[in-house]
Amino acid sequence: MAAGALQCRNERAMSLLDHQIVLGRCLRAVDADPWVSLAGLQGIGLDRAELAELHDLVHSPGFRFTRRGQRSWCEGRSAEAAQLTLSMLSTEQRRQLVNDWVDAGGGAAFDPTSEADAFLEFVACRLSEASHAMTICRMEQAIYRASQAALRFKPPDLSLLDNPNTMLCAGTGAAMVRFFAEPQWLFAAIGAKAPLPPLSDRCFFVLFAPGLPALFRAATHEEAAVWAMLVDPIAMPLVSRGRDKRRTIEELFTIGAADLVPEGNVVSDPSPSSTHHYSA
Amino acid sequence: MPSVPAAPRPAASEHAASAKVLGVGFSYITTLPADLYRPGLLDFVEITPEMLCRARRDGEALSMDLVPDKLKRARAICGELPIVVHGVELSIGSAVHWNTSYLDMLDRFQAIWPFHWHSEHLTYQTIPGDDQRPLSIGVPLPLPGTAEVVHLVGARAAAIRRRYRVPFLLENPAHFLTRLAYEPGIDDEVGLMAAIIEQGHCGQLLDLHNLYCNAVNHGFDAFAAVDRIRLDEVMEIHVAGGRWEDGYWMDTHDGRVPAPVWELLEYTLPRCPNIGGIVFELLNYYATKMTVDAIAGELMRAGEIWRRNGRRSAAMQE
Repeated sequence: MAAGALQCRNERAMSLLDHQIVLGRCLRAVDADPWVSLAGLQGIGLDRAELAELHDLVHSPGFRFTRRGQRSWCEGRSAEAAQLTLSMLSTEQRRQLVNDWVDAGGGAAFDPTSEADAFLEFVACRLSEASHAMTICRMEQAIYRASQAALRFKPPDLSLLDNPNTMLCAGTGAAMVRFFAEPQWLFAAIGAKAPLPPLSDRCFFVLFAPGLPALFRAATHEEAAVWAMLVDPIAMPLVSRGRDKRRTIEELFTIGAADLVPEGNVVSDPSPSSTHHYSA
Repeated sequence: MPSVPAAPRPAASEHAASAKVLGVGFSYITTLPADLYRPGLLDFVEITPEMLCRARRDGEALSMDLVPDKLKRARAICGELPIVVHGVELSIGSAVHWNTSYLDMLDRFQAIWPFHWHSEHLTYQTIPGDDQRPLSIGVPLPLPGTAEVVHLVGARAAAIRRRYRVPFLLENPAHFLTRLAYEPGIDDEVGLMAAIIEQGHCGQLLDLHNLYCNAVNHGFDAFAAVDRIRLDEVMEIHVAGGRWEDGYWMDTHDGRVPAPVWELLEYTLPRCPNIGGIVFELLNYYATKMTVDAIAGELMRAGEIWRRNGRRSAAMQE
């Protein structure tokens, strides 16, 4: 693509913004010729001479070297953000996942943790649902979420649960992670680089929440059952039938595993079968 | 110098001269043994506060939260050593969307842990995305030498200086864009830095390794460049290691300081009347690849040059 192919105007001098948009887009481009990434870019106020200057810069050996460095940094940051999960996978799987993520624009944020959640979601979508790798991926994601939420977490007022109109949902910094083997056995095998235990039919649930001292602990069956009900917003009276359930909800609420549905998320539902619809 | 109108300037290096003389410092690195951060070997510590933070997105807004445990550990390790701040995520040169969440975080950081001065790189690392939100480009890029850049960064530097009431320094970056354009009157990276310092009334963090990288990669004489730098505005000097890759000398900050950079330090230090400190800079990622003894060796060599040039550390002054 020639420099002149990009839409340009002649009435303005080169602005810093235009300069940065052109270089920044070319730096992020995955195409062999980064100039291709500028096709369709509107409103750039560069004249032909300025575009030619940037075209030369983008095709210079120094810019090519900068692009290689940028790619390497993005790959390194992505790998750092999901270290444990990626360690569960083959070298080829790791390389492919990181490569695909960086091709999609990932890894560019300077703080790896700011993209970690999204990268782990990207990885989770490419893993088998019933696998140790999926467990570790969800656990790593849960740790990020819980530790992030813990920075601002304050134990809530339990009396809020007494309102009969209270709607509950899962806490945003919480997760229930299913293990397909005793967690200790799995971690021991990972630590020793030994064969992983076989997938068990039994469920081992670990609860992650911002209000837990270590951010996680083994979940009870009751907690796992209540958690399953909180996947979609649900009225407190529906979820708390029975004294034991009430206690379980109070415990989950206290540690941030259960939360109140924000009022703004309640919308009217004309359906006669339900009185309200809630967006998660 | 470019024809950029500047606000009345303080007397020569008034702000630089007011800075405390600290001595020899080292980057705060979480993976290194705590006993490296002790008086005698170090006079001060350079903290990158982003290492103590977590980024968080609240809808459209990005915020940076200081993590209490990380902050507490850093303070325990650094003890009573004075600190300076060296940021990496401000993106002071972005035409739009410089990282104000960094400044909000630095407000909180300063209230908790005051620093003697702070610095940032003369670069940008975000552009507007298709949705106009800031889009990270993945590596910091150098700025072209234009009057617009001088105005933009100069104004931001001045605002930062007023906001924190301690000296603010800009660091000369290493880069590989030999064909980057400079307007007549600015001419090159030395001219750009000088013009911004003039406009923003800030100081310079002179990274001698970055200067060496650019000299090697772009083919100029680093010593001649030093002669043209406003050395009365240099308050801090960085020395660091690098390596060859694909025909370029890279600013990897991953090991010992190369001999030419030590020579540059020997040449430059006596010419900086307002210098506050030298920092041996090492990246967190590479820190464990260097032994503690090797790190201590680089710090002692920097200290020896510091003292040979008649400089006193903060501890000696007290």
